[in-house]
Amino acid sequence: MSPLVVALWLLNVTLDTVGQLAFKAAAGDPRAGDGLARWKYMASRPWIWIGVLSYVAEFLVWIAFLSLVDLSEGVLLGSINIVVIMIAGRILFKEKLTPLRVTGMLLVTAGVAIVGLAGGG
Amino acid sequence: MTKNLVRFYAIGFTILVLFDTLVQLSFKYAGDHAFPPEANWAWIVRVFGHPWIYIAVIGYIGNFFTWMTLLKHAPIGPAFAVTHLEVVSVMLFSVWLFHEPLTLARVLGAVTIVAGIVCLAFAESGAHPEGDAPTEAKGALGVTAGD
Repeated sequence: MSPLVVALWLLNVTLDTVGQLAFKAAAGDPRAGDGLARWKYMASRPWIWIGVLSYVAEFLVWIAFLSLVDLSEGVLLGSINIVVIMIAGRILFKEKLTPLRVTGMLLVTAGVAIVGLAGGG
Repeated sequence: MTKNLVRFYAIGFTILVLFDTLVQLSFKYAGDHAFPPEANWAWIVRVFGHPWIYIAVIGYIGNFFTWMTLLKHAPIGPAFAVTHLEVVSVMLFSVWLFHEPLTLARVLGAVTIVAGIVCLAFAESGAHPEGDAPTEAKGALGVTAGD
């Protein structure tokens, strides 16, 4: 993989993680209330907008990334997002890491490593 | 599980994976048409200058409504797993449409990732009662998480 491909891959996972966590922060704010008021509250706070911006940027980064690698390779490498988001969720939202979850995360990471290290594309 | 419910899941999840696959294939086509990628406005104009990006958006909307319909009934664990199984379908479609090589590393990688996703699915099933809200929303691009 070229440095540009690696950079786009890292940028994609970063933006996806920031986006997910921002939406989680927006949706999970207990002060938000219910119904329309909840949406108004969320719109008045930065989190939802950080999420939207991250996703727009991610969308473009992902297209650029896919145009440089084989699609089959790209989607496999993109699976790392699952792992990074779970780790971030653990750190920021204290989500539980059970043995089964850790096993799953390790397997996904191993699979991504196999594809990434083989390079090609 | 009744026969009708099994059929509902089978059809629903198949549609979901197909929408996910359509989105990724469209992204690839859009990227190829706009090639080479550049960090400027001209590249973005090229991306939006071909129908593929709009097909991706349609696929994304279809994906969203299928996902929401399924989540009303399906337990989150299996639902989570199925949304990430697109890696396999995308790989097969890529071999067919883009003549990409099905290398040993890709097959091994895909099998390992799917095994991991199945573990995560079981972990999710245990962590949440049926019908509970998902911890991880789908990724922006349906890839991971996100997928």
